[in-house]
Amino acid sequence: MHEGDDVMERRLSRNDLLRLGAAAGAAGVLAGRTGFADAARAQLAKESGRLQVLDWAGYEVKPLWTQYLAKYPGQKPKFTFMTNEANALAKMSAGFKPDVVRPYVGYVQDFAQSGFVQPWTPSLIPNLKQLNPAMVKAGQYKGKQWGIPEDWGFDAILYRTDKVTPKARSWSLLFDDRYKGKIAWFDDLNQLVWAGYYLGFKKPYDQSDAELKRSQQLLKSKKKLVRMFWSSETDMQSAFASGDIWIAYAWPADWAAMRAKKLKVAYMYPKEGALSWIGMLMLGKGTSRSAHAHAFANAWSSRQAGSWLEDNYGYGHSNTHARPKSKDLLTALKLTDPHAVSEPRAHIDRHVPRRAVYARLWEEVKAS
Amino acid sequence: MSAEAPAAEATPRGRRTRSRIDLTTPGLLGLPVACLLVFFLCPIAIVGAYSVDALHGPSLFGEAHKLTLAGWHALFHDGVYLRLFWKSVKTSLIVSVIVVALAYPVAYYLALSGTKRKYVLLLVLIAPFLTSYLLRVLAWKVILGNRGVLNTFLFWTGVRSPDHPLSQLLYSRFAVILVLAYIWIPFVALPIFVSLDSLDRRLLEAAGDLGASRWQAFVRVTLPLSMPGVVAAFLFVFIPTVGEFVTPSLVGGTSGYLYGNQIADLFSTGYPDWQTGSVLALFLLGVVALLTIALTRFLRLGEAAAR
Repeated sequence: MHEGDDVMERRLSRNDLLRLGAAAGAAGVLAGRTGFADAARAQLAKESGRLQVLDWAGYEVKPLWTQYLAKYPGQKPKFTFMTNEANALAKMSAGFKPDVVRPYVGYVQDFAQSGFVQPWTPSLIPNLKQLNPAMVKAGQYKGKQWGIPEDWGFDAILYRTDKVTPKARSWSLLFDDRYKGKIAWFDDLNQLVWAGYYLGFKKPYDQSDAELKRSQQLLKSKKKLVRMFWSSETDMQSAFASGDIWIAYAWPADWAAMRAKKLKVAYMYPKEGALSWIGMLMLGKGTSRSAHAHAFANAWSSRQAGSWLEDNYGYGHSNTHARPKSKDLLTALKLTDPHAVSEPRAHIDRHVPRRAVYARLWEEVKAS
Repeated sequence: MSAEAPAAEATPRGRRTRSRIDLTTPGLLGLPVACLLVFFLCPIAIVGAYSVDALHGPSLFGEAHKLTLAGWHALFHDGVYLRLFWKSVKTSLIVSVIVVALAYPVAYYLALSGTKRKYVLLLVLIAPFLTSYLLRVLAWKVILGNRGVLNTFLFWTGVRSPDHPLSQLLYSRFAVILVLAYIWIPFVALPIFVSLDSLDRRLLEAAGDLGASRWQAFVRVTLPLSMPGVVAAFLFVFIPTVGEFVTPSLVGGTSGYLYGNQIADLFSTGYPDWQTGSVLALFLLGVVALLTIALTRFLRLGEAAAR
């Protein structure tokens, strides 16, 4: 009896599905784009509850998604904070289902493969056209747009021009013997990547065992020159401002912040190429608020949000029309040159296939 | 028969007494033992399972998992983590010895000087506990930095010029030792104070009557009798500081990076390695447990010898 019911239900479902598909196809042919917009509006009307955003602390501020709120008044997104990509994945593994999450570009593939996110529909994000094409491409995986690039920056070298005279425009400034005890590295496995670029390896994001050994050895042997590994930008800036360190692996925002403190500083782009990072908005898999999520990504991609981000956080924004008020920042981010952020002049962070090995080797550098 | 009757009567009474004891003991111990099981032994067992990858965190990056002793093998064969552990032990020993040496005279004065204000002074001693731990550590950054209180004073006195500050004060192992010592002194003074305060003063009078100088009386009577307090104080500092990670991460820099930082990093960084983190945590737990047992045994032997 029950089995029969189930079979009937399944049949009906299939029939319904076929009918719906045929109707949708016909509607699509007849109504074209207008019909699609109507369908999107209808879908939007069905979406309920607040948009759930899993993001980094500091990105919950309203000016970064004002357009979204203007479109959907009173529907302020609900933010939950992540501390890193692993933390975000752990939250999602534990059952949290955000509509939008923001890993950085090197993790796009990991997230795409995790099964917790799905590709965006680019046509629903009109501002995507204004975003830096190289960054948009970096958000693609297997031909689909999994990540919408927003905030970005360089990883390069900040140094005091009144205290430090670099021998070369190179990553080697991060282990210059003359400045022992005045150098800060970033506490991240990416240190093995710049070491790989310095050593001239072809694929620093995918080094062989022998190459990794050499990169690790370089870092281990030079660690004695390093005063601190920073994980908090505030800590690094405070140590730099007080003169405890003179040379740091840093972001353009740090250079702008030190300039604001009237310190004589320069931001060096190593000849081996600076690294660049990009925050990627990703869409939660099976989200029930897809249209809202697209609208949110569109708001974040706007010129206004971009300029605000640059003016207030000192980070770059992928919208090529966004410009900061500060000329210093404009220079540091090389915003007048949209190619500065990508190959061959800079290396956009990419997927590290053997991240576990990199992580272990970096931890050993710290422990050594 | 008459001899059996009282025995027969005694049996039910005895049973009642025994059953009362049987209920009282589990009743009293049940909750603490259950707490110990649920909140201490079970978590340790779980960490143990993580250490051999029998349990593992979610496969965040598609890692494969299988039962393995690789983490333990790496700990004992690579040597990197053991060297870091030894560095932490040395740091912790230095801190513990300094702190006990500094706290002992303070506790001695409070307990044996006969001052009426000893409890007021004791309150003053533990006053820093009224502020946040984090705040107390961060305050040292203000004191030790290149433009901190200490360097500013040196500039003012002309001992150092602003271009050449004492720059190795902060982000160093020295800073870690100094801050940890400052944090733990009040903790250490308390057990020493208690052991000295409960000292039978007549023993000191007797030592004096038998011709012992004050120094001899201290060395032969006061110090041995206060050793339980000293050892307890030592353990009070050593156990938490050997796994400490907050202070080193704030003021330690690369040279002050300790074993506790490594454990914390392995669990919480961008690419967590719970297996190695669990191995390191269990190794620390084991060493601390062994040390505690050894010191407790030493104390018992000392007490037995004193009797």
